[in-house]
Amino acid sequence: MSYTELTVWTRGIIMDKEGRDIVNSIAASARLEGKYAQAMENYVDNPDRTNAPTRKYCRISTSILENELTYENEHPNIVVLVEGTMVKGWDYMRGMPPGGTLVINTHYTPEYMIRFVPGSERLAQLVCVDAAKLADHKWLYYRLGQLGLDRLSTEGAAERSKAIAPDIAAPLIAAVIKSTGIVKRETIEPMIANKKAFEMALDELHILPLKPVAA
Amino acid sequence: MSTKGTRIPDWLTVPFAGITPAPSQEKGQDLFPTGNWRSIRPVYRDKLPPCNNACGTNEKIQGYLDLVKRGKYLDAYALIKEDMPFPSVTGRVCYHPCEQACNRGQYDEAISIRAVERFLGDLGQSLQRDVVKAGPSNGKKVAVVGSGPAGHSAAYQLARLGYKVTILEKSPKAGGLNRGGIPDWVLPQDVLDREIERLVELGITIKTNTEVGKDVSWDDLKKNYDACVLAVGLTEPNSVRAEGENKAGVIYGLPFLRDIGMGTSKVKLGARVAVIGGGNTAIDCAREALRQGAVEVTMITVESNPQEMPCVPEDLHDMREEGVELLHGRAMTAVLGNGKVEALQLYPARFSGAINASPITINREAPAEKFAVDNVIIAVGQHASLAWLPAEFKNERGTIKIDRFGRLGDTNFFAAGDIVQLGSGQPLMVVNAVGDGKRVAFNLDKVLRGEALEPRKIAVDVIMDLNRMNMTYFPHFPRVKQKLLPAMSRRKTQEEVILGFTEEQATEEAYRCFSCGTCNACDNCYLVCPEPCIARPARSNGLYKILVDYCKGCRVCIEECPTGCLEGVPELDFDTGVVRMDTAFAISPGLHGRQAQELVNLSNRPAKQI
Repeated sequence: MSYTELTVWTRGIIMDKEGRDIVNSIAASARLEGKYAQAMENYVDNPDRTNAPTRKYCRISTSILENELTYENEHPNIVVLVEGTMVKGWDYMRGMPPGGTLVINTHYTPEYMIRFVPGSERLAQLVCVDAAKLADHKWLYYRLGQLGLDRLSTEGAAERSKAIAPDIAAPLIAAVIKSTGIVKRETIEPMIANKKAFEMALDELHILPLKPVAA
Repeated sequence: MSTKGTRIPDWLTVPFAGITPAPSQEKGQDLFPTGNWRSIRPVYRDKLPPCNNACGTNEKIQGYLDLVKRGKYLDAYALIKEDMPFPSVTGRVCYHPCEQACNRGQYDEAISIRAVERFLGDLGQSLQRDVVKAGPSNGKKVAVVGSGPAGHSAAYQLARLGYKVTILEKSPKAGGLNRGGIPDWVLPQDVLDREIERLVELGITIKTNTEVGKDVSWDDLKKNYDACVLAVGLTEPNSVRAEGENKAGVIYGLPFLRDIGMGTSKVKLGARVAVIGGGNTAIDCAREALRQGAVEVTMITVESNPQEMPCVPEDLHDMREEGVELLHGRAMTAVLGNGKVEALQLYPARFSGAINASPITINREAPAEKFAVDNVIIAVGQHASLAWLPAEFKNERGTIKIDRFGRLGDTNFFAAGDIVQLGSGQPLMVVNAVGDGKRVAFNLDKVLRGEALEPRKIAVDVIMDLNRMNMTYFPHFPRVKQKLLPAMSRRKTQEEVILGFTEEQATEEAYRCFSCGTCNACDNCYLVCPEPCIARPARSNGLYKILVDYCKGCRVCIEECPTGCLEGVPELDFDTGVVRMDTAFAISPGLHGRQAQELVNLSNRPAKQI
């Protein structure tokens, strides 16, 4: 039996849909591959607040999911940070078993970012992808500092467009599947709207391999 | 919400509404440290205001205007004195590059910085004892050759550093160009005398009538002093190479002003005087000529219009108000007359290049004009007289060869002022000479202490631009004008033309300062912060503090900072300020996980306990 937990940390309102697209598309692909999968959003975090940390969860298993009523991933094997600054603020590594993967959307290198990661000895790899740049997300990339004021964000994006991962989620999904192999590229790629960014990210990942130490 | 009668498990005793301390209360921010919501951190970082950058000696202009605003005149005076030995002089004579650079000039009118400086300088003059004291003696002797602006500044700074300074001045009175190049009606002699007294009070010895090359040789300087600053200036007037320039009645600008300044003038001007040249010295000569008895003064320039003249527009305006005529686009080719100047031969002319220093093209095919005059004053620049200087230290421009630190080779000799700035692209101004003297003094100090010299660093991107400031907070307000004597009465007297500010005027003008890029303790950030994230024990620059554990990075303070001194820095650039939380709303780690476990166990519990 293999069981994997994926937790996506994102920011309320401005990047909410990015996080949702990641867990939904990965869970949907896993089901297409004949696995048991579940994707859900966290309501405790109050995702209707700009910039507030918001979590999205995904679980994939080859057998039936026993904890489908638990609304938090307690032992995430894979953690994705949709906004790079989150690396400093939360204990997103809590409960991660040795051999985990951390994916960060940042233009910094993994060698720089590792200083901020708590409990990095449990990581098997630290992956950095400059998703904002690859998705050509101009307002986000060049005006990251103004996120708090910006209302050009993905707020209401689901109403505007039903496309999955039209934006910075695409490179992040590419980073997750390439570094972990959690689902196959062939099953997930047809769902992704921004195929260009998805393909570019497959080539432009920065993966720092680490030696995990058992806790 | 009432919790009465409810069993609350230990792990759920989070603070509830009503009993939760507010963030403004003590320890209130510890409960919900929302600092990790932030991707950008507000940071107070003072930038260089453009006035400070443009000033030849980098006076902390914003700093003293801010002090004047608050009525702290003595502090303001002491702040100027760090960079400028004689604010009462530059407050009168400076061509104020600061005002040209002033950001307010793009908004309504530039701040009248020079007038405020003069107000403070005059205040300093009235003090019984100056605020500046000589540094503790280090036993080293330094000679400063020349007592003009550069020499004065170098001597002043060296005395503050603890050196025993001797100024060698060839004229009978100290002051150099401040005395010999600037007329009385701009800078009264007694103001300058008082500033020179201040130098003597610092323990500086001034030896007048002492000329290098005549009374003191290069070897004497080397032998008798630990180091030497050469600030000899440009003493020799340039000629226009016209025929008959040696005729009686032909006067050169700088000696004309110098002799009047030193009180040794024997010149008697006729009724009609022409001044050749279009610069600031030429303007001073033309205005001085009126005061020396001339009736009709005409300024003859190669420049084809007043806008092209290399001079300060205000002075040009004041000169024309006094009745000086302008004749543009002409060059003097000969001085006509029988032994004495009677007329000038003029030809149409223009500069062959784009700048005023380029060669002049004279159109000799056009008919020559004859311009009848009694005297002609030639003011077309000056050059150095350096016969006494060893040849190895002379350069092709006829000035002193120095390295970028103002040092002559590996010697302990330094040079400053016009003597090194001529032809360097810098305009020759009192304030530039003062700045040069100051920098050379600091470099000299480093050399004598055996430290390595480092070039001055200015990061261009930190000079504050108007676009980075919040103009909403600055209403338009006109500049306070300095009063002038009426043109008709002033043209015949040596009385000071421009009058100083009163205290009210100085304060009003200082209030117009934007404080570009510098915190002036306006309290705006403190007031607009939607959370109590900005702490301020006292209202003063440097005492505002961002509580980074709680600041969410909403940028309101940054957007609303009037002066632009607050800036947003990406949070990841800081190693500090890490606040680990479980989520934004759960303060104990694993809270939600344990709640989930509680849900699983619910079915095993007796119904009464639920």
